[in-house]
Amino acid sequence: MDFICNFPFFSILLSLFSGTICSILPGKAAKIVNRVVIITVGILSGILLVYLLDSGESFVYWMGHFPAPWGNEIRAGVLEAGMALFFCIIMYLSMAGGAHKLFDEVEESKHNLYYILINLLLSSLLALVYTNDMFTAYVFVEINTISACGLIMIRQVGRTIEAAVRYMIMSLLGSGLLLFGLCIMYDLTGHLLMSNIKESVSLLIQNGEYQIPLIVSIALMCVGLCIKSALFPFHAWLPDAYGYSTVSSAAILSSLVSKGYIFLLIKIIYRVIGFDIFNSTRIIDVLFVFGLMGMIFGSLSAIKEGDIRRMIAFSSVAQIGYIYMGFGMGTQAGMVASVFHILSHAATKSLLFIAAIGLTEVSGGSRKFIDLTGAGYRNKWAGVAFTAGSLSMVGVPLFSGFISKLLFAQAAVQVEGKMLAALIVLGISTVLNAIYFMKTVIRIYTAAGDTPYPCITFKDMKVHAVVLILFVILNVLLGVSSQPIVNMIEQGLAMFA
Amino acid sequence: MYLILLPILFPILAGFCLLAYRKDPGRKLLTITTGICLVITGALVVVALMGTKQGLTLFHLTKKLPIYFNIDKISVIFSLLTVIVFLCAGFFSFVYMKHEQKEKRYYGYYLMAFGVLNALCFAGNLITFYLFFELLTLSSFPLVLHTGSKEAVMAGLKYLFYSLCGAYASLFGIYFLYHNCETLTFTAGGVLQISPASREGSFFLLIAFVMILGFGVKAGMFPMHAWLPTAHPAAPAPASAVLSAVIVKAGVLALIRVIYFIFGTGFLQGSWVQTAWLTLTLVTIFMGSMLAYREPVLKKRLAYSTVSQLYYILFGLAVMNEEAFTGSLLHVLAHGFIKSTLFLTAGAIIYTTGKTRVDELRGIGKKMPFTMWCYTIVSLGLIGIPPTGGFVSKWYLAMGGLTGDIGIFRYLGAAVLLVSALLTAGYLLPLTIQGFFPGADYDDTACRKQEPARLMTIPILCLTILSVLVGLFPNIITNYLTDFVSTLL
Repeated sequence: MDFICNFPFFSILLSLFSGTICSILPGKAAKIVNRVVIITVGILSGILLVYLLDSGESFVYWMGHFPAPWGNEIRAGVLEAGMALFFCIIMYLSMAGGAHKLFDEVEESKHNLYYILINLLLSSLLALVYTNDMFTAYVFVEINTISACGLIMIRQVGRTIEAAVRYMIMSLLGSGLLLFGLCIMYDLTGHLLMSNIKESVSLLIQNGEYQIPLIVSIALMCVGLCIKSALFPFHAWLPDAYGYSTVSSAAILSSLVSKGYIFLLIKIIYRVIGFDIFNSTRIIDVLFVFGLMGMIFGSLSAIKEGDIRRMIAFSSVAQIGYIYMGFGMGTQAGMVASVFHILSHAATKSLLFIAAIGLTEVSGGSRKFIDLTGAGYRNKWAGVAFTAGSLSMVGVPLFSGFISKLLFAQAAVQVEGKMLAALIVLGISTVLNAIYFMKTVIRIYTAAGDTPYPCITFKDMKVHAVVLILFVILNVLLGVSSQPIVNMIEQGLAMFA
Repeated sequence: MYLILLPILFPILAGFCLLAYRKDPGRKLLTITTGICLVITGALVVVALMGTKQGLTLFHLTKKLPIYFNIDKISVIFSLLTVIVFLCAGFFSFVYMKHEQKEKRYYGYYLMAFGVLNALCFAGNLITFYLFFELLTLSSFPLVLHTGSKEAVMAGLKYLFYSLCGAYASLFGIYFLYHNCETLTFTAGGVLQISPASREGSFFLLIAFVMILGFGVKAGMFPMHAWLPTAHPAAPAPASAVLSAVIVKAGVLALIRVIYFIFGTGFLQGSWVQTAWLTLTLVTIFMGSMLAYREPVLKKRLAYSTVSQLYYILFGLAVMNEEAFTGSLLHVLAHGFIKSTLFLTAGAIIYTTGKTRVDELRGIGKKMPFTMWCYTIVSLGLIGIPPTGGFVSKWYLAMGGLTGDIGIFRYLGAAVLLVSALLTAGYLLPLTIQGFFPGADYDDTACRKQEPARLMTIPILCLTILSVLVGLFPNIITNYLTDFVSTLL
């Protein structure tokens, strides 16, 4: 076993322990530790990805060389390593893009707390991505929830406390359901390791035993993760949580935290239940329908919203709907489209949050549309970046959003019964997206008469501007050279089996 | 080989630099730079047209979707029209834009739209075409809301909304085509290998109809025409000239590409789609003329006229035989030159007198005889009086319609063309009549010559001459097209 195989384990531990170290460091040092950890983990994941692409097969890593069921297992394939790398990139950019706002948003004495939470969040995300053990997954789901709550709460205004409580209740409900599902599964199969459960499940299916408890268990796990990733109609916690937390938190929550749970669900579908068994249940139809409803109702709520941050948050509901629609198609192509959309949405949504903060800054901190009039002229970089993000969301070619829509449509065309519904809703939702994003773009480029707000040039916001440019480049990269990424996703999904 | 990219990238980059340039360069420098950029782009287009022998695959969007450029005879016709109208309207706007704000932004987007249109003409497959179709909407949209008044912003939004809806309706069709065709490269005669009688075929007929409606939005097809008469007059006059003469032609080009190069005429001939399409075109021709006839504001009247005239072109496409298709292409050129002249003269009138309504313009011929002469000549062309451009194209259209295998539409088509020609005379000529013959009670002692500056009159003159030339020497174009057209059908 090569030394590189230790990397997943290293990255989890590194981020976990750096969190602990941050608690005794002053804010500034904690920030440096945090950045270094994210970069290191990113580099480790990158090397791992190259290694895996080269070797062409996944590996299982026994912690401490104890075989299961005594020891704990980690598993890494192309998709896991790719996700970890991508998560690190987005997290670094989001942190850098929101750093200048942190002093307004969080008391200085609490800065190191903030970095503890970020590190914990990263470690739990990595664990969710890499783990091969359902119980470990559950433990890190909880860690993830707690650190996410902390991230919402750390900005101490009334709305965030309410939002955090709401998030806590919904999230705990979700993890509770996940735990129920897990218990039933453990009862049925006697295993907690993903590969072992899968063998037992296929035996159970073959023998026709315990069909109903099995379905109930799968359904509970799905619903639990749906609640946590804010699938319509479980999205009530989302707009406040994303809308009022600090800007980095909002970007990270929307583009990484919910995606971590979705990735866990993908793992459960492939590694625990088995893709074909999962598709033979009726659950995918339910996911499909709720996905479609989310696409429409999320956008409708976004259109009605008068607050730019909450609007972007509602748009997440619609985008999560896309991902679940891909699951609901029950084909390999649908799954590839969903995974690609996880990437594309993460890149776009964090861009939008970071750009929106640039726009609200030059509008006296107000997030109401009326005050944002002309903000695109006052902060040119944020304006351009927001426009680029909007175009990607609407699905203009050359941006990542177009490719994911194309992939969804391609997948839909292959599924006889769901084709028309999927394509029509895709069309409607695209037009709805266009309505609220173009409305915003026009608003920020409508010349405002006399405003008391100052203009911001590149000198005042170097880091912010560079981050925005990097985000736009990431988006265009995903949109222009999508084929290698799609190939990688296909390869990764094949490794899951 | 990369020659073909120059006329696309150069104006887009130039426009981008102009927009990104922070300081105010001063009016003179700005117009000179823009002028040079326009001329260079024009030259680059000609060079690209002459020098390109084979297509160019730029890169692959996904495995089956290359971004691919190629030049065929359709590209030549459309890109020459684009270049001429953009150059003339561009020079015209150097004077006209004096009384508008934010010139830098205007020229920036103007250049960008130019580049995007060139790309649209050179696009070699459906996905490249779609890409630039979207970009065209986005780059021409700032031209519509240029004045920034509430009315203009609403018009811009309407334009954006209709265009995006249309584009997505077409994208819906592209999804299915992508799945069922070997390639989406434009191939004369079509690439769809499905018989219209099969079960799949009847579904693809529906797809074809949705795509016709979707791309038709850009060309102002009834019932999705409402954006056009709102958006075109809202823009500054040279921009409306470009919008009406060239940018709506992107919709026409889209339909040519989709019907003749993707679906193939064999697939649609005699189907319900052809019937529905013919009905829609005839309704639109008639309705556009009627609305223009009733409209008192000059620029709006011209915009309604655009709706009507575009559907002459689409009627020719829907008939699907060689003569009608040739007629359509001729009318693309004729209407392009004529409508841009009309909008530019309207612009010259607004610039010098500030009046917009037709009934306020009594005696305008005494003040601006040169402008009004050009107006009158091209009006006659649009009505279809020989020897100007409109006559030949309408002749071909009518002949194509009469010999076409389209049942009752054979006679209906010719009848509607005639009635609409009368209406055209009815809405264009009153301005000439009142302009030159204001009546006995008109006090012409007070009137002074108010001809606009050279930079305005010369583009108008060039376009007028071209529109007449199309009528005098249509053979050059028809000979050029004969072989090519027969491969299409």
